[in-house]
Amino acid sequence: MNDSYTNFLREISLTNDWLLLMPEIILALIAFAILGIDLFLKSKKRVWREKYLMPVAICGYIFVLGILFLDKSTFYIENISHFGGLIEQTDSNQFMRSFFVFASLFVTLISGQFLSKKSLPKAEYLHLILLSCAGFMLLVQCSHFISLFVCLELVTVAFYVLVAFQRTNVLSLEAGLKYLTLGGLSTAILLFGIVLLYGISGNPEMNGFINDGFQFQALQSFIGLNSDNLIVQLGALFVLAGISFKIGLVPFQIWVPDVYQGAPTPTMSFLAVASKAAGVFVLIQLLQGPFLALDAFLIPILSVLSVLTILFGNISATGQVNIKRLIGLSGISHAGYLLLGVIASYTIPQALDVVLFYLSLYLLSSFLVFASLAYMDNEDDSLLETKNYQGLYKKNPLLGVASLIGIASLAGVPPLGGFIAKVLLFIVAYQAGLYGLLAVAIIGVVISIYYYFAWIRSIFFIPNEDNTDCLKEVITLTAPQKIILIILIGSVSLAGLYPSLLNFFI
Amino acid sequence: MTIGINEFIIVSSLLFLIGFLGVILRRNTIIIFMSIELMLNAVNLALVAFSRYNNTMDGSIFVFFIMTVAAAEVAVGLAIIVMIYRQRQTILVNELNQLKG
Repeated sequence: MNDSYTNFLREISLTNDWLLLMPEIILALIAFAILGIDLFLKSKKRVWREKYLMPVAICGYIFVLGILFLDKSTFYIENISHFGGLIEQTDSNQFMRSFFVFASLFVTLISGQFLSKKSLPKAEYLHLILLSCAGFMLLVQCSHFISLFVCLELVTVAFYVLVAFQRTNVLSLEAGLKYLTLGGLSTAILLFGIVLLYGISGNPEMNGFINDGFQFQALQSFIGLNSDNLIVQLGALFVLAGISFKIGLVPFQIWVPDVYQGAPTPTMSFLAVASKAAGVFVLIQLLQGPFLALDAFLIPILSVLSVLTILFGNISATGQVNIKRLIGLSGISHAGYLLLGVIASYTIPQALDVVLFYLSLYLLSSFLVFASLAYMDNEDDSLLETKNYQGLYKKNPLLGVASLIGIASLAGVPPLGGFIAKVLLFIVAYQAGLYGLLAVAIIGVVISIYYYFAWIRSIFFIPNEDNTDCLKEVITLTAPQKIILIILIGSVSLAGLYPSLLNFFI
Repeated sequence: MTIGINEFIIVSSLLFLIGFLGVILRRNTIIIFMSIELMLNAVNLALVAFSRYNNTMDGSIFVFFIMTVAAAEVAVGLAIIVMIYRQRQTILVNELNQLKG
């Protein structure tokens, strides 16, 4: 036992490549710098603290994005196990790294106004967003269950705090508690699955047993030999259940509407985009990595989940008037479409790229909706309903157009980016021969038009005089807010007209 | 009678099941938390047993990570429960039902 242990340590120290993780380390350092600034300039320079924390975080993200794009080769060595098999880098997870920095950057940008309005502490919020960004970036590169678990929990625990961040708001606290209990449950289920896989794969009586029962490649070779073993299948199911919770696939979706409604708007957008993207990516990595040989067992289960998710998300969203619950429920249906791409990636390798394309368009169009929601500057987002969007175009044309483009792109209206993403996804599903699933997905899209268009209609609809309106009469935007909205509108429309532009990133 | 791997796994699965039922059925938030802890400890027990039986150290190392993460989770969870109690004077799950639609 001691021998294998020292070998493990030796192997780890030989393959330690800290430079590769520099972007994550820089983000973590900035996170602590922000806490430090907040702590040491507590009373004296309050103005300084309020004013400069946000730019420090934003500059940090832009710097990390810059080094990820410009100096790619320093932080990326392909297809070699680093840190003794804990970390493995591929083209797709390099793309996801930049994806998460983008998502965190947007969340930071829309959180400023929200935090000032509710007079919530800025430093802690920015700190947690930075840390969970670093966690996400590590999570997608993991190729070992220990590092996967630790990164997942880094993100999840940060999210518990971010969801319950409005400490005096009962809705926010309730959402935090619900996320915490169900998150804890899903963590335990994920862990039990990991333990079953570890226990069975290291069992000396098994055919082709391995010493490193947490490592993805070792597990892949073991499961390849024992794909019909009951405990292996049970373990894989438990692990997938834990991951499905993060994505919000149907039997594990109960938390989604409640948590989305109660959480602060910036947190909700981070949860909707980054958490879902990370879950989908980890799911792909597990299915194409350790669980590759279980395809005959898993594909039927995944197909059923996909059908249920698409139908549940769309049907339950049709009767929904609360904006944040609507976003949550329609997000569930998007998870279902993504699962379609995940299933297609078993037969068609390009499906992975299509899923990444869909995720990036989902990021852009969702943030367009979320940014307009945050900039509408109403008293309590949690109680906002579709009818409160009435007359938005008249009150502020830019906000109206931004919401319109965002919602239309989520619905998949041509020629916006969301349309191209959906078409590509459906083409891949068609090529993979998933005709039944494709039919369900198209029915889902048709249903989704109903609620998305009801939402769009109220933007241009002039409200009745007696309408109790929780929006202000005149909404004014600051110059940076206008620039953010225009950039997002531009990129969503351009991605629809010239989808090949995104090839540069993928 | 010697206690082998099977006994450990049966005890651990039972603990996991008790914890799961606790999360699903109980209404007091503190008890729900204890049940989640019970599930995590069931996992720890299984990990240590497998680690001993399989003769690899990884499982025992993983236990430390799980304990650390569980501690962090409880710290955040109790803070949220205290805040909820201050706002609502209750921590029963069925009375925390303001989010619905």
